[in-house]
Amino acid sequence: MTLATDPPVTEPSATGPSATGPSATGPSATGGAPVTNFDAPVIAGGRSRTRVVVGHLTLALLGLACVFPIYWLYATSLRRPGDIYELSPLPWPLSLDSYRTAFDEVDVARLLLNTTVVATLTALGQLLTSLLAAYAFAAWSFPGKRLLYLAFVASWLVPFQVSMLPNYVLLHQLGLLNTLSGVIIPNVVSGLGVLLLRQHLDSFPKELLEAARMDGRSSWSTLWTVVVPNLRAALAALGILLLVNAWNEYFWPAMVLQRDNSVLQLGIRSFMSATEGNDWGPLTATAGLACLPIFVIYLVLQRHVVSGFVRSGLR
Amino acid sequence: MKRPFARRSFSLVALSAATALSVLAACGSPGGGDEDTSSKATAKIPELGKDQKVSIVFESYNFGQAGPWTDTFNELIGKFEKAHPNIDVTPQKPQGSSPNPATDTVSSLQSQIAAGSPPDVVQLGFSDLDFSIHSLKVKPLDDLVGKDAVQANFDGAKHPFAPTARTLANWDGKTYGVPFVFSTPVLYYNASIFAEAGLDPAKPPKTWDEAQQYARTIVDKTNRDGLYLDCLTKIAKDWCFQSLVRSNGGRVVSENRSTLTYAQPPAVEVLQKAQGWVKDGLTPVLGQKQAYESFARGDIGMFLETSAIQGTFVKGSKGKWDLKAAEMPSFGSKPTVPTNSGASLFILSDDPAKQRAGWELIKFLTSEDAYKTISTKIGYLPLRTGLVDDPNGLADWAKANPLVVPNIAQLARMEPWVSIPGVNYIQVRDGMMDAVEKIVYQGADPQSTLTAALKQGAALLPKA
Repeated sequence: MTLATDPPVTEPSATGPSATGPSATGPSATGGAPVTNFDAPVIAGGRSRTRVVVGHLTLALLGLACVFPIYWLYATSLRRPGDIYELSPLPWPLSLDSYRTAFDEVDVARLLLNTTVVATLTALGQLLTSLLAAYAFAAWSFPGKRLLYLAFVASWLVPFQVSMLPNYVLLHQLGLLNTLSGVIIPNVVSGLGVLLLRQHLDSFPKELLEAARMDGRSSWSTLWTVVVPNLRAALAALGILLLVNAWNEYFWPAMVLQRDNSVLQLGIRSFMSATEGNDWGPLTATAGLACLPIFVIYLVLQRHVVSGFVRSGLR
Repeated sequence: MKRPFARRSFSLVALSAATALSVLAACGSPGGGDEDTSSKATAKIPELGKDQKVSIVFESYNFGQAGPWTDTFNELIGKFEKAHPNIDVTPQKPQGSSPNPATDTVSSLQSQIAAGSPPDVVQLGFSDLDFSIHSLKVKPLDDLVGKDAVQANFDGAKHPFAPTARTLANWDGKTYGVPFVFSTPVLYYNASIFAEAGLDPAKPPKTWDEAQQYARTIVDKTNRDGLYLDCLTKIAKDWCFQSLVRSNGGRVVSENRSTLTYAQPPAVEVLQKAQGWVKDGLTPVLGQKQAYESFARGDIGMFLETSAIQGTFVKGSKGKWDLKAAEMPSFGSKPTVPTNSGASLFILSDDPAKQRAGWELIKFLTSEDAYKTISTKIGYLPLRTGLVDDPNGLADWAKANPLVVPNIAQLARMEPWVSIPGVNYIQVRDGMMDAVEKIVYQGADPQSTLTAALKQGAALLPKA
């Protein structure tokens, strides 16, 4: 979004003066003249206009390149089952057979529900623990603070695969294997969340915290009545990030849920097979459906983020 | 200034130490089977009492795939539980995140063994045989239930296992597993492209030289790709590459499995040929999945592949082009040596009651009835080959599915897919197949590339 709007912003100031003369067509059109007959604004304008055009073209191509796989996903899901391997850019005639197969072979509604539960609880848990930890780091100084903070950072830096097996063994001992809680519980604390929120809270005016304390508010009520309302934008942004991460989580559910493909990402994988090749039709149909909720949530929450930023800017 | 720095570096040291410890803990634990379990299992396990309730966990990569596989297997498990009301079976797929669950089988067992809760019955590939027996400690069926019972199961009520299939999961004369599902390399071809190129669809190539000529004709006359062998990439593993090398008179590992031999002339010749096909534009430079989807789309003339992928080809060709199958071509007049892909069923449990229940399950899944279900619903090769001639068996199905014919013919002279020895077998195998891929698709020099890979692989073999 911000990338795409950048060039037009610079456009008026640069091209404004140059747009007056016909020589603005660019250096190459005027032959050898521009080299000797140096007319700064005109050349600058021509150059910047080509730059704008080239910039827009590049961005448009990049945009297309980004959107194309998503388009191809939906295009494939809408082809007739017999046309799955076709390479024509437009799927025609359209067919919903792949969606029908997906719903027949996999309980898509249950998977959607399960994934929503897992993603929401995980993201909320991470948001809550991150907020508490970041608040503690920002509001108090205590012995071992730096070490503790580094431990959080390290937990984020160490790849999950490293701690996977101990986590797995612990889940086994707790009897949580093959349950959704087993997917959620080891993930309710996020090093990244603590890291990001701490940065935000560090820039939070200390005077406000002081004032709240002098008003006789407890730390707990300061957190919820002073800090959180002012942190809404950051929390929304982090919330989106954590939710999307949790929604797309594949590795850990694939470890824990051995007896059932209970979440969407595993449901999608169930159409990839060891023995028969991939069943692209229902696979793309399920993947397409899996994208939709997160897309909607993103759109809704994004408005909060933007308005949050705007409001804080006006104050 | 100095103190915080010192403190920070101290905490970093502490952290990295903690991390290193957890890494070590994670690496050290899996696969550590102890020695006494195998000796304990030498006495025959007792039969289950009538009212003795047993629950077992069955781990197979066939579960977790939507569609006919899971449905068929759930149906079979349901039938089994009905026939054995005292045995309760919980099916599960291997844990792990690779798109192909079959590649997760061993690592899945390792972490479950580390957690102390391995499944009781497992389906494992033949390439993992050595590791399964010596590191995962699957139990010798001969010791558990007796040689006679094992052989009686192979003999079946009416239709015995194909003789070449019976011994695939044997080690030092003992049967450890019952081969379950596998295929030999089959040459699938697009008869419609053959006709378009002026080739006779009823006469598939008998030798690779013929296949090469056919491919030339197809490329010249139809603008399609000529030929693809799904045997020459790392992801394909080495089952079919072993078959090619053996059909050319060589081996990838010596007969006593002590030395690697894939840098010898027979392997080099195979790869020179295949490299030539890519250089001449007869074989497209495609990954495994891209290639079989391209063939399914009708863009490749001939395709050497396991029958496991046949379903994809049948679906892709339906109403569009004519899919046919032939035996794999030979190198000149040398006889072909088909090898097997696939997997066997093993017992992993240490508990005698679960072992007995597991054996009942294995017997059921490899019975004539089960193969009837598996072949008709999934299209897999029935290892009790007599079924295809039995009117009460699969005769009708076989008549309607001529694609199975070359596979059954090749079963008669099939040789085992040899597992590479030692705990580093996957790395050795991948190293070999990496070299193969580099040679065929990236034009590396066959002899020197194989020699270099072999040198690295040899260092990873167990010391004699």
